[in-house]
Formats: sequence, structure tokens, C-alpha cells
Amino acid sequence: MNRRLFAAAGVIALLGLSACGGSDTDDTASGGTTAPTMSATAPSASPSMMSAQFGPGCAAVPTDPANPGSFDAMAKVPVATAASGNPVLSTLVTAVKKANLVDSLNGAQGVTVFAPTNDAFAKIPKADLDKVLADDATLEKVLTYHVVPTQLSPDTLAGTHKTLQGGDVTVTGSDMSFTVDGTSMVVCGNVSTANATVYIVDAVLMPKS
Amino acid sequence: MEPTDIEPRPATRRPGPPRPGTVVRAVAVGLCTAAVTLGVSHLGAAVVDPAADPVLAVGAASIDLAPQPLKAFAIRTFGTNDKIVLLGGVYTVLVLAAVALGAAALRRRRFGLVGLVAFTGVGAVAVLSRPTATAVDVLPVLAGAGAGVVAMLLVVRAARTVTSAATGRPRLLNRRQFLATAGGTAVGAAAVTTAGQAIARSRPVGAESRASVSLPPPVRPAPPLPATVSVGVDGMPPFVTPNRDFYRVDTALIVPQVDLTDWRLTLDGAVDRPRTWRYEDLLARGLVERDITLNCVSNEVGGPYIGTARWTGIPLAPLLREAGLRPGQNQLVSRSVEGMTIGTPLEAILDGRDALLAVGMNGEPLPLDHGFPLRMLVPGLYGYVGACKWLTSMTVTTFDAFDPYWVQRGWAPDAPVKTASRIDTPKPFAQRPAGPVMIAGVAWAQRRGITAVEVQVDDGPWQQARLADGPSPDLWRQWTYRWDATPGSHTLRVRATDATGATQTAQRVPPFPDGATGWHSVTVTIT
Repeated sequence: MNRRLFAAAGVIALLGLSACGGSDTDDTASGGTTAPTMSATAPSASPSMMSAQFGPGCAAVPTDPANPGSFDAMAKVPVATAASGNPVLSTLVTAVKKANLVDSLNGAQGVTVFAPTNDAFAKIPKADLDKVLADDATLEKVLTYHVVPTQLSPDTLAGTHKTLQGGDVTVTGSDMSFTVDGTSMVVCGNVSTANATVYIVDAVLMPKS
Repeated sequence: MEPTDIEPRPATRRPGPPRPGTVVRAVAVGLCTAAVTLGVSHLGAAVVDPAADPVLAVGAASIDLAPQPLKAFAIRTFGTNDKIVLLGGVYTVLVLAAVALGAAALRRRRFGLVGLVAFTGVGAVAVLSRPTATAVDVLPVLAGAGAGVVAMLLVVRAARTVTSAATGRPRLLNRRQFLATAGGTAVGAAAVTTAGQAIARSRPVGAESRASVSLPPPVRPAPPLPATVSVGVDGMPPFVTPNRDFYRVDTALIVPQVDLTDWRLTLDGAVDRPRTWRYEDLLARGLVERDITLNCVSNEVGGPYIGTARWTGIPLAPLLREAGLRPGQNQLVSRSVEGMTIGTPLEAILDGRDALLAVGMNGEPLPLDHGFPLRMLVPGLYGYVGACKWLTSMTVTTFDAFDPYWVQRGWAPDAPVKTASRIDTPKPFAQRPAGPVMIAGVAWAQRRGITAVEVQVDDGPWQQARLADGPSPDLWRQWTYRWDATPGSHTLRVRATDATGATQTAQRVPPFPDGATGWHSVTVTIT
């Protein structure tokens, strides 16, 4: 029984191989020069394999590729535009607009963004949140503290990383479970956008200085 | 896959589906059949015409047929269309359909055959629905269907079962035969697919055709560009964009490979004398050379989808006039070899600007990615209304009579380029020491030209930037501003004014439906 299943799995794998081979040609035909936003990952991997998102919060992301908040749609546009298509990130988007960081985030190449959800912002007492939103300088510090100037894959995520704000964020965890600065959980990680990798987190990060 | 019984094996299992054995057999029959069908079709298409591959044809057709709910998706993908995702989707549907086909074939061979006819029928319809399809193009699908029938019957036969006396469950009559047949079929499918790929790679007809082209020197060459068009600041793009760096935004799943011996350009619709040209006929009219900046409507504020090239081509307006334009027409619909339609206002083509049928780009025949053998170019219009690539036909008509591809998807029918400017250096979030910092970038307002660029630091006053030379209103213009930077975080903004005196609006609108507006900004840190 098991041997039969194993052998059948082998046959399926072989068939899969020939199917993958078919799309290889297409990659070499158009991949290299297609969209400037296309990531230059191994051409044999299927798109879903090279950008596997993970985390309980991913379930809340729309799956219909026609929806601008879906992973498919987000992967095609720069990060601030991608976030603005996602309703769970609307508070963040408001803050980014307020701090005049839309273009800079869209234009930054190869960055990682920790993106707090609306719920994350809702955890901050309203008076404090309003204060931060009203002060562009503070807001900019808080927001740039959420951006690391290199692209972090789940394999390189754990560790201490210098942010654009200047302070360090510390990510602990492994596999599919990560915590940023000790309290902010990654609820949906490794989301691809045209110019940045996004980790959606459940608490706003605060720079130490 | 585990039985739900609590007793340890080998206790009795309940009969009835789904049994692992049945699933494995359905998967084996379905995938073997599909792989052989597609592999043989692929091989046939490589021989006949690479675009006759049914998988690619279905992918292309599904883009074109995308219904209203998918419109938003089409809009999002306008700039960056990730074709591989679409092909992945087609393959996923194929695998599911194949397994269903396998299950049907196991029940009754007749069901399997009907399913296979439907399966290949979709491919055949997609292949034949392409605008350049000929009857020959359906042969690869038919050959694939024939091979698929044989594969299906072989594997179904090898997957015969008998009821086991020991367990009362069906088991394979001959497991070795089943594995050998399924494995052999899979290996065969892989072999024909690989052969098809090898042939397709060895026969890139477009690349071959392009290599055979030698463009005559232009009869009206463009004057050399003065060095003063460039500001010479680090971090600035070159004034003329190299072909390999020129942006590419289109919906082609694979870059069309056009064989010049078959290619024709036709002009029809509301003209007195419809015409068809061969490539040589067009070259014989004499080439003009023009420096033109081209940009894409889907560019975000500050985005990368803009470039400038030295194009050679045939002036378009005289061709239309010679054909005898009938009165009352206002749209020229261009069609590419893969079926893309683009609608251009006739007025824009005829008003004296350098509307071209371009055959050369920066001194070489048009690259395949950029529309070999010929693309349209209309300065002052976004590409989606004026720059059809792989052009094969032009039809004079009206806007009322026909909605081209993007207009069907909600984009504006007429889309003149909006005045815009971009900071290229410093880059976002750059860190620079205090003191003089060169801010530099580009500004563009094709047809009108740029007359001023201003820079604002934080909420300070707008300051005049220095403009590099701008030899033509159809070209972007570089600019610089020397900023005495003080420590801290700063937001830099830019805005341009065109020759009509109009300054860019601060109001942010997204690219849909007729181009983004707003002042580009960059945040930098001075230490």
C-alpha cells in the first residue's frame, strides 16, 4: 500500500517536472525584461513558492486577485500603493500620507517594512495616537523605525536590524513564528510587493530614542 | 489519506469512495493524459508556430476575456503584469481538470473521451481565436488530443482492478503493469515536452528575422544631442535610455516572434484606398530619425516607467492621407500580432507632430521586447493610446464605433501626457553629510515642453531649479538644484511648469484612469 502510494507520488512528481519545464521557457522569453518590478528569483520556482506568506493573519487577506488588497495584486505595485489597497492597513496608510512618506517608500529599493494593522494602532490610547499623528517629526521617526533598508526573508528575519530611523529592531523566533521587539507578533509575514517585503505585525513598534 | 477507523490495521475498512487507491488511479490517468496531450501539443506548436501552444493561447484568451469583476485587477496589473502568475493559474486549473478527467475515464472510458474532447476543445478554440491564427495552427492541439486518447486508454487499461478476496476491496489487477505504464507515459510526456522546448529555443523566428534586418540610414537624421542636455550629476539616469533599460509594460505572455516573411501591415476602415505593406515597402519610403520620450500611464508619481530613445521610423500622417481619409472619422485603431488593440485620436496623428511607425531604436532594429518589427509612436500621448507594439493592422474608425483594449477596461479613450517631474537623486531615505547637496531629476510634458522646475525643502519657499538644455518639447528635461543641507530629516519636493504656463497640480490622483498627478517627494536624512 505504502509502496504503491510512494510510486504514484513519484509518477506525479515526474509529471510535475515536465509541466514546470514548460513554464521555464516562458521565463527566459519574457522574465528577464518584463516588468521592472519582477523579482529576479530562481526562474524554476513557481510564484507561489517563491513568495509563500505565512501566519494566522494571512487568512484575513482577500484571495480574489482582482482585489487590490490580495497578495497577487500587492506583489505588482510598490509598497505604499500596495498597502493602500489593503483595508487592514488603512491607519498605517493614513499615517504614511501624513508624514509625506508615500513616494519615498514607493521609491526605496529592496526594503523590509513591518506594517502594523489597524488593530495595532487601536491598541494605542486615542489621545497618544492623535498626538503622534499630529506631530510630523515624531510620526516620521515612528514610521521609519518600521523600515529596514535591506530585504529580509523569513530565513534572515531573526536578529537585530538597523532601521531607517537609526535605531535597531530585534526580531526573535523562527520558522513561522516571529516577534518584533519582544511584543509585536508577526501575524502575516513575507508578503511581497514590487519593491519591499512586508511583515504585518499586531503592535506598533516604538523607537527607543 | 488515513482511514477513520479506530482499530489498528489490518482491520476492515469501510467500502465506498473516496478510497486512496481510486484517487491515486484517477490522478495517474488524468495527469498522464494531460501531460501527453500538452507535451505533444507543445512539440507540435514548436514546429508549426510557437504561439499555437494551447496553454499559452488559453492564458492569453483569459486575459482578454477578463470580466468586469476582474477589471480592478487588470488595472493593477497594467504596469507590471506578472504573466507567470497567470500561467501558474492556467496550469492549476489544468491539473484539477485532468484529475476530474482521470476519474471520469476510470468510471467509463466514454466519459473520459468526452472529457478529453472538451479539454482539448477549449485549447483549440483559444488557439483559433488569436487574430493571426490559420487553420494549420489547430494541428498541434489535434495531435495532442490524439496522443492523449492513446495515453488515457493505455493507463486506464493498466489500472484495471479486481476485488480482493482477502479484504473485499478492489485492488490493482497488476500493480507492476500499472506503475510501468503510468511511469512510461510520464517519461514519454516529459521527453516530447523537452523536445518541443529544444525546438522552440532553436527556432526563435523573431530573433532570426531581426538579425537579418539592416536598416537603411535615415533620410532625415536627427541632429546630435548636445552634451548640455545632461546635468552630469551622479545618480541621474542617462538622457538617452539604453534599450536594455527601457521600461516594458504590455500584456504579451511571451514576446511575439514575428517572421518578417509573413508579416504585413494593413491599413483599412474608413479610407478610400486600403493598403497592405511589406516591411521592405515601408523601409523604401525613407526613414526619419527622432528623439522622443515615451512614458506609461500606469506610472505612479516618481515611478520608473519612462524613457527616451532615438527612434527611426516612417512618418505616419502621410500614409493615412495617401489612403484617402473619409470625413467624420476620429480614431485610428492599431492591432498587434497577438491581438492587442490600441486607439489613437486621429487628430493627434495629423496635427503635425512626429507620429511614427518606428522600426529602429537607438541605432538598431526595434528589439523584440519593444515591438519588432514595428511599433507606433505618438509623442505626447501615453503608450496605451499611442504606442502599439508588434503592429500589424491599422483601422480608421470612430471612438463611438470601437473601444480598444484598455478603454474596455475603464481607461480614458484619449490620454495626453500630464506634466510631471521626478527627483532622481538623492534617493529616498538617503543619508548625506551637511553642506551642499545636489538635488537632480527629470521633468516632462511632451508636446508642450518644460519651462521651469521648482524645488521645495520641507515647508520652505519654492526655489527655481537650473534646467539643462531641452532641444525638443517631446523630450524630458533634466534639472538640478544645489541645496545647502542642514542636519535633520528633510522632505524634498519638486514641481514643473510647462510651456503653456501651467504648473503641476499638487492634487494626488492615482494612475487610473488617465495618469497620476501630484508633486513627487523624497525624504532624506542629513547628518
